Amino acid sequence: MISADPWVWVSAFLTICSFTLLYGDNKLFRLAEYTFTSVVIGHAVVVGLQTLNTRFYPLFTGQQPLLIISLVLGVMTLFIAWRKYAWIASIPFAVIVGIGAGLSMRAAITTDIFGSIRATISETGKIFIGTPTDQVGYLIRVVFTLGAMVYFLFTIFVKGKGSGAVSYLRTFGKYVLLIYLGLTLGNSAMQYSGLATSAINRLIRTWLGFG
Amino acid sequence: MKIPELKSQYVWATIMILCYILPGFVPLGTPFPMSTTTMKIYNMIQALPDDSIVVIGGSGVFAFDLESSAGTIPAIKIMAQKHIKIVNLPLATEAVQLEKYLIDASRIEKKYGGTYEYGVDWIQLPYLAGAPGALVSFLNDIKRTCPTDVYGTPLDQMPLGQRLKDYKDIVLWICPHWDFVTIIQYVTGERKIPSVSFAQSAAYSTYSPYMMTYPDKVFMTNGFLGGAQMEYLVGMKGLGHAVIDGNQVFSAVFLIFVVLGNVTWLANKEKKEDKK
Repeated sequence: MISADPWVWVSAFLTICSFTLLYGDNKLFRLAEYTFTSVVIGHAVVVGLQTLNTRFYPLFTGQQPLLIISLVLGVMTLFIAWRKYAWIASIPFAVIVGIGAGLSMRAAITTDIFGSIRATISETGKIFIGTPTDQVGYLIRVVFTLGAMVYFLFTIFVKGKGSGAVSYLRTFGKYVLLIYLGLTLGNSAMQYSGLATSAINRLIRTWLGFG
Repeated sequence: MKIPELKSQYVWATIMILCYILPGFVPLGTPFPMSTTTMKIYNMIQALPDDSIVVIGGSGVFAFDLESSAGTIPAIKIMAQKHIKIVNLPLATEAVQLEKYLIDASRIEKKYGGTYEYGVDWIQLPYLAGAPGALVSFLNDIKRTCPTDVYGTPLDQMPLGQRLKDYKDIVLWICPHWDFVTIIQYVTGERKIPSVSFAQSAAYSTYSPYMMTYPDKVFMTNGFLGGAQMEYLVGMKGLGHAVIDGNQVFSAVFLIFVVLGNVTWLANKEKKEDKK
């Protein structure tokens, strides 16, 4: 049975408006696009304001008086909108960037650098154990990792002896990266296709009441 | 015979009707492969101690994170069977909506005939701005970082909130959002808490190598397919199954277009050769 909920009708109308883009740019699509953008911005502002209330609760109750520092830094960021005093905003931004960089540096080194090196060494050892399927899988992973790395290491064109071998390795690395890009593109296509299916499913089941 | 030229609108209309609209009216129940990683996730959740605490959190955009909901909803259903406590931690403004939606869609609350009660079995924390600094702070001292829930109720006034101290209380982190890397780095890498991402397809190829970096600690499923696999294991048919139907038909239609394109090209080629 068709839905009697007015919000489901609004959702259905905006979904259909979005799909009209397939026929070409038109006013209905623009209506859906602008509605979506404004709702997202409005929601972000409201959630942001609510956050002030919940996060600074211990400051108002006197449990964490040091939170006043965060509140002052937050207010200072608002000066970015006032050209004459915009320099005041650079102080809290410097604090944010400094803390963020410090934390990220430590985590990135542990996870992305040492973690990846450890994983590659470990996978190399596994090439010689397990079922043939697993062995091939590990071999591909290790060879592809090294191939992509070689591509970036030898971006400078080597001349003279050994240049042929380096060139082959670099070309192999390039193909590895292309395979990765192809996979990412294919997965993205699957994602958009899936989201379109879910939107149409919502129309058919929630709005029209079929299925 | 003259081969008509196809307008892009006609192509889209055919794809829409065959791939998306038809499976919506008539669920086809097309088969799909099961992945060992999804099985591992299912078994890991089943092996979690009853009454333990799982965090569902991260940052992302609602529209795209909807893909992750296909796998997260069945996972929440399994957790509800084991009375596992759920704490939702949004690290983006739209994540608040998604996490609330996940609990609603799972139908685990008493108002939907389930057993879960807000404050006792699950809590929705407010948007936590300033990740990764805020995330690290949350892991080290939950109540100092998030003193209240999203409605402004102090955590100390809720039974589940009273149990929350720091990361040692968390047995598993589920990320139903795009940004899984931040969770891997700070939750799994630094604090050794296992993490699961019901990843979006586009994120899967980028982040899946982390499963090599932290074997048996980091787990990822791939998009709606992963969702359909989780649904199958739980014994339900939700968004994952519906989308897989569409995707399977889409693949078939894609193949038909490839064949038609090649036939057209060959026919035109023969015509040109005849003219010569």
